[in-house]
Amino acid sequence: MSARTQLTAYAGLASSTLAVALVLGAPTSWLRLIGALLLACVPVGAAVMCWIDAGENAAQAGLTLAVSLTVVALASAIMIWLSSWQPRALFVLAGAAAISCVLRLRVARPAGGGR
Amino acid sequence: MSALGHSLRAARVPHHESLTRRAQAQLVLPVMGLGAWALGVSQIAPSSIGDYGLLASANPFLILGFVAVIGGFVLELARHAPRGWLLTLDLIALIVMVQATVPIVFGGTPEYAWVYKHVGIISSFAHYGRITDPGNIYDQWPALFAAVASISSLAHVNAITFAAWAPLAFELADALLLLAIFRLLTDDRRVPYLAVALYVGLIAWVGQDYLSPQAFAFMLWLAMALVILRWLRAAAPTSPEGRIAKLRASLATDLAPVPKTTRAQRIVALLLVIAIYFVIVAAHQLTPYVILAGIGALTVLDLLRPRWLLALLAVIAAAYLLPRYGLISGNFGGLFSGGNPIQNASGARGTYHAGGEAFTARIVHLLAAGMWLLALAAVVARRRALGRVLIPALLAFSPFVILGAQSYGGEAIYRVYLFSAPWCALLIAGLLLETRRPRRLPIRWAVTAIVCIATLLAGLQGLYGPVAVNAFTSSELNASQWLYGHAQRGSLIVLPDENFPTLQAADYNSYDLQVMPSDPQLGESWLDEANLPEVKSWIESLGNQTAYLVVSRSMNSYARYFGAPRGYEKLVTEIPSALGGSVVYHNPDTTIYRLTAD
Repeated sequence: MSARTQLTAYAGLASSTLAVALVLGAPTSWLRLIGALLLACVPVGAAVMCWIDAGENAAQAGLTLAVSLTVVALASAIMIWLSSWQPRALFVLAGAAAISCVLRLRVARPAGGGR
Repeated sequence: MSALGHSLRAARVPHHESLTRRAQAQLVLPVMGLGAWALGVSQIAPSSIGDYGLLASANPFLILGFVAVIGGFVLELARHAPRGWLLTLDLIALIVMVQATVPIVFGGTPEYAWVYKHVGIISSFAHYGRITDPGNIYDQWPALFAAVASISSLAHVNAITFAAWAPLAFELADALLLLAIFRLLTDDRRVPYLAVALYVGLIAWVGQDYLSPQAFAFMLWLAMALVILRWLRAAAPTSPEGRIAKLRASLATDLAPVPKTTRAQRIVALLLVIAIYFVIVAAHQLTPYVILAGIGALTVLDLLRPRWLLALLAVIAAAYLLPRYGLISGNFGGLFSGGNPIQNASGARGTYHAGGEAFTARIVHLLAAGMWLLALAAVVARRRALGRVLIPALLAFSPFVILGAQSYGGEAIYRVYLFSAPWCALLIAGLLLETRRPRRLPIRWAVTAIVCIATLLAGLQGLYGPVAVNAFTSSELNASQWLYGHAQRGSLIVLPDENFPTLQAADYNSYDLQVMPSDPQLGESWLDEANLPEVKSWIESLGNQTAYLVVSRSMNSYARYFGAPRGYEKLVTEIPSALGGSVVYHNPDTTIYRLTAD
């Protein structure tokens, strides 16, 4: 596991948690907006990109962003097409992203729990 | 030792001082530039912006700010080992300065009347959670609107509050992806940074980065291109057989080596490309076909694998389009409506081309011509090693294929420019920096600085030139929100010209919005607004008992800038007496009249 994918996994984990916390618990609309934007822009992409090293920091960050937005747009469009609008269902994506990132970090840890 | 030591020390000290001085200039210039820009922006009043735009109305500090940031950027590029973090910060500063100026000056209200229509679709999705207007082309390509509706719903914030910042967000994301792509296509450390800086200037005027499906689809296309160039490139055949392989071998001399990949990586990359492309297809009508042109060019020259990817993407695009083809033919006259590339490249029609509008149009025409000519020059300069420019050249010129099929309501040429610009920027940056001839080195950085500054200022004139027309004050937005909050559903809303924030409400399609048929840029233009009996009879022909007629600062600016609609000035001064209207809402920038049928 490269340092880049490890960092991506940590970013995915942190952003999933922070985004859900901000959307659910932030006292101001601007903080909630930051949470919602974070949810749309990072966790899902990090969940994918923590398994693939793009070989370069800008590529890793750019693809994390683009993959996240792709999946969030697809999920949102499906909700519109099915006329079952539940934006909070996107929290499931954040949860799945966190699981993927944790798995990636566990897989990368050497047998015996490391040093 | 001492004589040699002294002389070495003596030689080192001035060199060290010179380096320190240069390093300080590279750090200080961008900071000073940001300060000058902030000072310049703080002194611009929207009411002082005339027909020649924001640059002509601003104090010189604004322009000095841009020049200083570019100066610092080029100085850093010229260093023996340019610092990536500093170049990145320079680029971020530049993008923020370019894209944040108008939102700051206009108090965070979104630019462009059509953005408000997009906000209306987003509000409708967030409020009703379904497609409410199946006949609306936006509802049938919902990916971007649905994504923003999700963000808006989760945050309990109306999209109108953050829409003004979409260009900044899209440009930052595009720059990040482009930097990554350019690094795959050149081994020169400086070229990607310079290409992104040029791109920021080249793309500024085309105005395709506001909150819109095409801005979103363009960003996703860049991500797709990155995945393809990183994981799906085909290796050059060792002994080419067949016509295409031989052609490719001759074109691919000095082609950058294919990055190493595993089979698993290529499968994941393929799945990502397909997923991203599907979202692009569901977001925007034209973008999928521009992408097919680019991927088609790469496939024909056997530069990507698998070859069937092109066919699969074409099937996805066609499968999505077919059930919705009626909407496309209704709005744009069919997929292959205009087989005349010259006409399709002529842009919006019906403008008068006078004064500030003509000046700005001339500047951006020069910029576009310069971009494509310099990109061609870069290809010619590399004629003995075409592989070094093959991929950017294919992607820069393949979008022209679209002009053979569609005018896209007069906008096709702008989309061609948009999709061509990043690759042209890379070609031009390579032309400027990859020269190996020592005789040219002393002037290289001066030429680079001049090209960067000229490109940026031309792009800024294109972006800021029509700002008095394209941007709206908070008073105008308040008036529009008052109208949708107070006019009964089903009311007729009449606009003398289209340039006003409308349709941003979730129930936008509960109102009958009509624009007077008097502007040649919008098609039908038989009505002379100075002929008030004719205007009155046209409004009565719409059949509503009550109509709301809106006039605003932005409409005045539009009429002055474009010389259309005909007779607008007379209409504005004579509405109350001639049409029997009473003022129901008034603020410094907008007046709303209620007209009641006799």
